[in-house]
Amino acid sequence: MLLQRIFTTDFFFSILRITAPILFATLGAVIGEKAGISNIGLEGIMMISALFGSLTAYWTGSWAAGVLLALIVGVIVSLLMGFFSFNLKTDIILTGVAVNMIGSGGTLFLVKVITQVTEGTALASTTSLITKSVQVPSVNIPLLKEIPILGDILSGHSVLTYLAFLLVYLTWVMLYKTPLGLNIRSVGENPNAAASVGVSVLRVKYIAIGLSGAMAGLGGAYMSMYYAMGWSQDMVAGRGFIALAAQAMGAGEPLGSMLAALVFGLAQALGIKVSSLGADSNLVSPIPYLVTILGLVVFALVGAAAPGSGTPPPRFRPPR
Amino acid sequence: MNKKQSLLFSLVRGTAAILIALLVTTLLIFICADAPDGASLGAAISAKLTQTGGALHQLLIGPAFRSNGSISAKNLSDILAAMIPTIFTGLATCVMFSANQFNLGAEGGIMLGAFVGALGAIYLRLPAGILPVVCVLIAAAAVGAMMLIPAVLKAKLGVSEMVNSLMLNYVVMYFIKYLLNTHLADKSKGQVQSYPFQADAAIPQLVDNGSKLSWGFIVALVFVVLTALFMYRTRWGYAIRMIGINQDFAMYSGMKVGGIVILSQVLGGVLAGMGGGIEMLGRYTAFSWSALPGYGWTGITVAILAGNNPAFVPFAAFFMAYLDKGCNLMSTYSGIPAQLIDIIQALIFLFFAAEQFLSRYRQKLVVRNTQAELKSKAAQTEGSVK
Repeated sequence: MLLQRIFTTDFFFSILRITAPILFATLGAVIGEKAGISNIGLEGIMMISALFGSLTAYWTGSWAAGVLLALIVGVIVSLLMGFFSFNLKTDIILTGVAVNMIGSGGTLFLVKVITQVTEGTALASTTSLITKSVQVPSVNIPLLKEIPILGDILSGHSVLTYLAFLLVYLTWVMLYKTPLGLNIRSVGENPNAAASVGVSVLRVKYIAIGLSGAMAGLGGAYMSMYYAMGWSQDMVAGRGFIALAAQAMGAGEPLGSMLAALVFGLAQALGIKVSSLGADSNLVSPIPYLVTILGLVVFALVGAAAPGSGTPPPRFRPPR
Repeated sequence: MNKKQSLLFSLVRGTAAILIALLVTTLLIFICADAPDGASLGAAISAKLTQTGGALHQLLIGPAFRSNGSISAKNLSDILAAMIPTIFTGLATCVMFSANQFNLGAEGGIMLGAFVGALGAIYLRLPAGILPVVCVLIAAAAVGAMMLIPAVLKAKLGVSEMVNSLMLNYVVMYFIKYLLNTHLADKSKGQVQSYPFQADAAIPQLVDNGSKLSWGFIVALVFVVLTALFMYRTRWGYAIRMIGINQDFAMYSGMKVGGIVILSQVLGGVLAGMGGGIEMLGRYTAFSWSALPGYGWTGITVAILAGNNPAFVPFAAFFMAYLDKGCNLMSTYSGIPAQLIDIIQALIFLFFAAEQFLSRYRQKLVVRNTQAELKSKAAQTEGSVK
């Protein structure tokens, strides 16, 4: 049976493994968008964080230090984006494009400089630097792992995978149960009204974009220190962009966006599985991107069919 | 501010943006220059400084002049040839951004255009003079049709054209890789590539020195003029710019916003596709791209530098091609990785697009201007009183 060969416990395990980095970035997109910031630089931030995370893990010999630095780098880059966008009034989307440029070419420059790989030798990467000892460890959850099928699917993931799903809840709490969340939402909905009741719009925006960058930083760490062993060129491969789509499909809410991210994870896991069964990988690889387009269309159609229940279309303000 | 001052301000601002980017570049080069082992601090710094100077010389002067000071014709024609695809993606981005359509599909568009053009060059049987023209036209039409996807979805359903166009880039790339690996592969070659183009399909070269500076360059310049005329002298161009400035106003004044949204993106696609076809037939003899070429992103930088005005696109494209050539020379002669160009590009880009960058200086200009005006008015009234 083909279906039995596809839908194994390994398969469901891999969905969670594949979803986690998209989920980190999606939460970054959710927090940003709640504050009215379209952070399309998530892709670039993930690349930069992935690089510095893996290098730090190699130098210090500690995965935790790598993850922490990836997070810090994510925050720094996003705050710089904030400076250009909020203070110098560069359009936030263009700021994101610039960060993505640095993420794709600038990181390769840095790798070549740092690892002293010269032009002409095979593609520069840090794949030789990350070994089992500095990989983000997997944990078996005591009681859960004993349960027959669920245990195989849910237990044995990396610390960061559990963190990603935990952060969905924490993000929801932050957005809806804390004063900070209230400020972020009010700044996103109506900055003038927020300012009129004494909220420092600039400060709240900086906090929101910083948190958004922190999430992308964790996603980057996940990519280079668990999903793959080390950094390589273009390794994030559009996950930061898919996250924007997941945010839009999830109507900007943490839980809904997580479900959308899981759909993309499922699509990609299915693609990998099908290509391992002999299908052409070039036919299978575009599936998540196609699902993204279809998902956005379906979401828009459903939103249009049920006026009032749907949310307004995503707020992507193009530059003037 | 009067027109002259406004121009002066843009000049000062642009120069400042480029200078800041170059300053950071110098710093980066200085950091990556090697110092001899065991040298004292002073010696190490001076060794690094010499290297930085050499690298900067390659980056800034190298593309135009030979080491003996004469102008390097080969390098210059290389630069002009490299401008061909980025002029087209720059124009495409100008048109789409002018309408406030943040479509980032020029990247996938130029790859699809190149691929479709290549298919025509391999399989179409047409007379010599007509073949390349038809190839470029079908390339343009194919990408125009591709852009209908994000355009119609945006106009009818309000789906973000940005996310859709980004996703389409990946879909296009994998689709082309699939076809190239299976049905269209020339199995007799060691690397993955298509069958060779028919000799008639090649776009003739302007100069025959290996720079691949083809007649496509002239076509690109013609399209600069055509696009500029279209944007500033036709009602369609006016409508595109109008919905970019104020979509609500355009809608309430009776413009069909949906149609213009679609028009701008399809036009962008046509331009990008044409650039892809011309680049492929002017430079290569078989299709072998296995990844997105990056011209779309450079096109965005070009459009930003040109302030979304098609007339300035060739200058911006020249500037980026010059820097790119400089980075390549630098990496050959001094071992600084050529990807430095991406960091320079991002920095220039950020400062150019920053509305508030040097706003104090602008303010000063306005104040000075107003004071001068007031003074002359006061002098006039005084004169008339007397």
